[in-house]
Amino acid sequence: MPTSPSLVTINHFRMEFDTHTVIDDLSFDIKRGETFGLLGANGSGKTTIIRALLGIYQPTSGDLSIDGKAYAVDGGVRLGYLPEERGLYKKETVMTVMIYFGRLKGMTRSAAEKWSLDYLRRVGLSEKAKTRLDKLSGGQQQKVQLGVTIMNNPELLILDEPTKGFDPINRRLLMNIIEEHKKAGATIIFVTHQMEEVERLCDRIILLKDGRPSAYGTIADVKKDHEGASLDDIFVKIYGDHTESEQE
Amino acid sequence: MHNLNTVISFEVVRTLKKKTFWVTALSFPVVITVVFAIIFFSNQATEQATLDTQNQKFSLAITDESNAITPQLITQLGAKTLTDKQQGIQQVKDGSLDAYFYYPSELDKQKVEVYAKDVGLFDNSRYQGTADALLNQSIATTVDTETVAILKNKVDFSSVTFKDGIEYDGFKQLIAPGLFLVLFYILVTMFGSQMLTSTTEEKENRVIEMLLTTIKARTLIIGKILSLIILALIQIVIILIPILVIYLQFGDVLALPNIDLANLPLDPVRITVGAIIFALSFLLFTGLLVAIGSAVPTAREASGFFGLIMMLIFGPLYAFTLFISAPHSSIVTFLSYFPLTAPIPLMLRNAVGNLTIPEALIGIAVLGVSAAIVLAIAIRMFRYGALEYSKILSLKSIFATKKNTPRR
Repeated sequence: MPTSPSLVTINHFRMEFDTHTVIDDLSFDIKRGETFGLLGANGSGKTTIIRALLGIYQPTSGDLSIDGKAYAVDGGVRLGYLPEERGLYKKETVMTVMIYFGRLKGMTRSAAEKWSLDYLRRVGLSEKAKTRLDKLSGGQQQKVQLGVTIMNNPELLILDEPTKGFDPINRRLLMNIIEEHKKAGATIIFVTHQMEEVERLCDRIILLKDGRPSAYGTIADVKKDHEGASLDDIFVKIYGDHTESEQE
Repeated sequence: MHNLNTVISFEVVRTLKKKTFWVTALSFPVVITVVFAIIFFSNQATEQATLDTQNQKFSLAITDESNAITPQLITQLGAKTLTDKQQGIQQVKDGSLDAYFYYPSELDKQKVEVYAKDVGLFDNSRYQGTADALLNQSIATTVDTETVAILKNKVDFSSVTFKDGIEYDGFKQLIAPGLFLVLFYILVTMFGSQMLTSTTEEKENRVIEMLLTTIKARTLIIGKILSLIILALIQIVIILIPILVIYLQFGDVLALPNIDLANLPLDPVRITVGAIIFALSFLLFTGLLVAIGSAVPTAREASGFFGLIMMLIFGPLYAFTLFISAPHSSIVTFLSYFPLTAPIPLMLRNAVGNLTIPEALIGIAVLGVSAAIVLAIAIRMFRYGALEYSKILSLKSIFATKKNTPRR
């Protein structure tokens, strides 16, 4: 049974790359079952936070925990992670890759196969099940990658710019799938630049600038703090006319 | 033409800017120099060992029913004569004699029989050489040159060597433990490239982040290595089955040498030592190739190291005569215990029977510890080089004090 209302806790997190500080003394938490927007311009440190949370990066200082402890693949938390740098085994078929990841996530082969077929049917790729990934379009590969991410009903879903490369129709499909997981009680960390997606899905947000939070709270609270402005306007106001684009 | 020049200058300049180009380019002359030095010292030591063998005296008894051997030559050799063939064979068996030659009454119809104490695969030839020389010199003094020529072509020899009182055939003894050396050669040459690129695939496909958050790096790397070993075993079966079928079914038609497989000597100690050295060597080089694959961003850059690794592994083959003729020389000891060159000398020496048990244990320890270290480095490199899509990891960055310091 969960003992804390927060699934993700970040305390005094600091991250330096060589002599450059990307994140500086950052603290926030993400509650169980909420959809949390991690927002910021390119280079603001969003992906760095995710990688440090998942143990891919070691923080320079501070603590990042999921369910009270540092993330480990065998730590008991069912994770679904769609990274910013994405790709799959391109020379393998769609089903081979989906079953492989399903098995890695603890599903039986038959369960992974059944789940994959259902998913592919839903996203209109059932005829591509035996097609090699490099024969699919970029958007189709993205759908397969999303499928791999949400296999085995993750309780923590981390999506780093999930709609990147999607056309409006597929973006809507993706948003519906995310909403379903939200309704099912999953905790979702949503990294994006798309403010309309944030308004539609997120319960709370943090907006980062120079490795520090410029805004943090529910969407209503953040808007209230900025005199009712839209999230787009708040973003532009915080960053000015242009954003940095070479860090991350 | 302009575009061609642009492409050429672009490709040349960007390759020259890569560290891997210079590392591999500069390493080859060094390795080739080392190989030639090995060959040079090997030849010198082998010649010396051959001279030493030729000058070595051994106790000898002779039974001459042909009356062709000159008694003075027997005396000059310091050999004694025996009338009872079985007595001569028995004295060799019990070690009171080094060698016994039996010259039958009809040299053109019966074989000259040589019985001797085993002194190693190639040194055993000195006995038959002496028996042959003794016969040639004897008949040269008693018959005309035409008869000498006829006899030279007509006389056959058979040699039997003994070790600890038991008949011992060095060539047959070599077959079972020597198979590990052949398998190692086949597997590394066939699978080396696959091992090297097995971890670059995840980087090139950008699948590494999803993997590392789903499975432990250690599990993934060990899984990859074990899968390569399984594939290698399948490959061995694929190679061996047709050879065996052809040999058994068509051996007579194709006039293949008749090897009595049922009576093939199987020395359990040498086979066990050979199997352990083979397994650890394979693990060491798989780990090494996987580590290199983890440290570089693309398969193309990984392949630059392949030739270098192959030269390190198989370079010692150039000194194979030395491993047999001078197994306890400094250079053989060095090559046998230096992890990157150890597999070939250890397996070859074990096959020919000049690797002592203490030497085998040291070699196994060296290979085992090296394989464990290399495997740990490979896992660490994969783990911390995971997101390095554009540059080669250095050992320094892998073992930096702040162990997980991110790299960009």
